[in-house]
Amino acid sequence: MAGKMNSSTTIDRLDAPQVISPNVLTHLKWAMQDTVTITWRDMVRTVRQPEMLMFAVIMGVVFLLLFNYVFGGVIGAGAGVNYIQYVVPGVLVITALNGAQQTGTGLASDLSEGVTNRFMSLPMSQVAVIAGRTIADSIRNILGLLLVVLIGVLMGFRFESFSSAVLTVLLPVGIGYAFSWLGAALAARLRNPETLGMLSMFWLFPLMLASSAFAPTESMPRWLQGFAEYQPISTATNAARAWSDGSPARTDSLLTLAWVAGILAVCVPLSMHLYRKST
Amino acid sequence: MSIKAQTLIEVSEISKSYGDREAVKNLSFSVAEGTVLGLLGANGAGKTTIVNMLTTLTSIDTGHASICGYDVSSQPYEIRQLIGLAGQFAAIDEKLTARENLKLFGRLNKISGRNLNARIDDLLQRFRMADFADQIAGTCSGGQRRRLDVVSALIAKPATLFLDEPTTGLDPRSRADIWEVIEDLADEGTSVLLTTQYLHEADRLADEIVLIDHGMIVASGTPDELKRELNRDVLEIHLDSDVAFRSAVRLVNDQPDIGTDENAMTIRIPLSNGAVGSLALLRRLDDAGVTIRDFQVRRPTLDDVFLAFTDA
Ligand SMILES: Nc1ncnc2c1ncn2[C@@H]1O[C@H](COP(=O)(O)OP(=O)(O)OP(=O)(O)O)[C@@H](O)[C@H]1O
Ligand SMILES: [Mg+2]
Repeated sequence: MAGKMNSSTTIDRLDAPQVISPNVLTHLKWAMQDTVTITWRDMVRTVRQPEMLMFAVIMGVVFLLLFNYVFGGVIGAGAGVNYIQYVVPGVLVITALNGAQQTGTGLASDLSEGVTNRFMSLPMSQVAVIAGRTIADSIRNILGLLLVVLIGVLMGFRFESFSSAVLTVLLPVGIGYAFSWLGAALAARLRNPETLGMLSMFWLFPLMLASSAFAPTESMPRWLQGFAEYQPISTATNAARAWSDGSPARTDSLLTLAWVAGILAVCVPLSMHLYRKST
Repeated sequence: MSIKAQTLIEVSEISKSYGDREAVKNLSFSVAEGTVLGLLGANGAGKTTIVNMLTTLTSIDTGHASICGYDVSSQPYEIRQLIGLAGQFAAIDEKLTARENLKLFGRLNKISGRNLNARIDDLLQRFRMADFADQIAGTCSGGQRRRLDVVSALIAKPATLFLDEPTTGLDPRSRADIWEVIEDLADEGTSVLLTTQYLHEADRLADEIVLIDHGMIVASGTPDELKRELNRDVLEIHLDSDVAFRSAVRLVNDQPDIGTDENAMTIRIPLSNGAVGSLALLRRLDDAGVTIRDFQVRRPTLDDVFLAFTDA
């Protein structure tokens, strides 16, 4: 019953479908349009689940209170600084990384709900499925960080100037954005939101504690110091900390940007590769 | 509509393996414009694999498939403009409302603005989705979600529609609704490829049925053609003991296409001349002194169809 395949069949339906063969420019246009659409979709989801934003903020606030009132006396005296001024940038970086975890869990739940199967069957840019989500998560992250800053200010934190405030918030958001793509790559591989949550405990906590986010790295043993000083949480914290005080932090800012670029260069293609394979 | 129906889906000797397991073997069929093809098969027969290959979700190992003249393997973006897919498991965003889901999939299909809103309103009204249009999809009933899933596949007026078990798990009322949707679409010229495990569903909807088992076509034809083969009533005899079961099998072994289940001590015999034909067989067993626990004459099920075709 099978006829011979004829690739030159012409279709003469009255309402013949308009099929376009996309070129590079079309793909680029689709990628932008679809990223906007997916961002919209993920923003709607965020608004419907405000607890996702609240959890990230509450965790940031708990860190602020805990470190300021429990360890602040000891560490602050050791570092010879006003501790709240010291700790807010670190907490912002941690809050951003924590918020970025939701990119992975969100993508994993998309994969398990099956909606990604429909995405795969549509004439759309598949990069947009992850890109849109990372953007929506960054927007949520900015909101969360502003709330944490607000609490910090109530506790005595001060910016040097408006531009220093902008940089102090944007650097953590930037490093969070890069980690969103790392989370997406892990999610496309593991597919399971629970496993993903467990896994992030393994690397996020050590990375967080072996950093300059809460305490100076000088007191750490030598072998750890080198790592602790140059890992992304520390460079972002050091940069944000310097900016918040109004001192230019070129080296640390550049190092942070290098981390962002490096992580994106690896994780964007990797997550796309794994995502394509996962459906 | 054109005068002569065009072949929209053309499948030629496609195969797919997962590791050692051959999920689909050398399958060929075609679907003409405005017709419904029913892919009928049991669990694991390969239905979903076929649908996934034709909708670019899974690669085709060997063979060719084309839709409206475009090659499925090498022109996925063209194919995706020509298909609508409602997979076996609902693929909608559970956190969005029904209307927002349609908006999402419409925009991703590059329909926007007033065109899209008009299309959405039209679909919501035509498929009687108004009562749950603004309800979060995750809180809708299973039937409502399934309807949203199928209607989502229609947003871009696709030339071909792929429905993988669209009515599994639905109540009779929702099932009839989906059937109506499919019939309307076929009347409008859409080609539909539908998979199902239900013989009567394929019978009602399909212009042509392809029966698959273990990834291969075991029978195909129009429902009428197949029915002549399949529509034999079945005599099912339940025995009490192994001994009775074995002697009963010996006594009726001359019947074609007989099926036996040793654990359940059950024999199934397709009847060529209706329920009356069972009398002679039962008498034969009774005369030989075999104790029958129970028997029934019933319409054939998919099992019987498969037994008939796979034993042949
Ligand atoms: N991703 C996969 N990896 C390995 N094996 C697979 C995969 N998908 C399908 N298979 C195997 O291929 C065969 C056909 O599966 P398929 O899902 O196509 O069946 P089906 O007819 O849709 O069954 P059902 O009625 O249960 O949905 C099965 O034996 C299945 O185990
Ligand atoms: Mg299936």
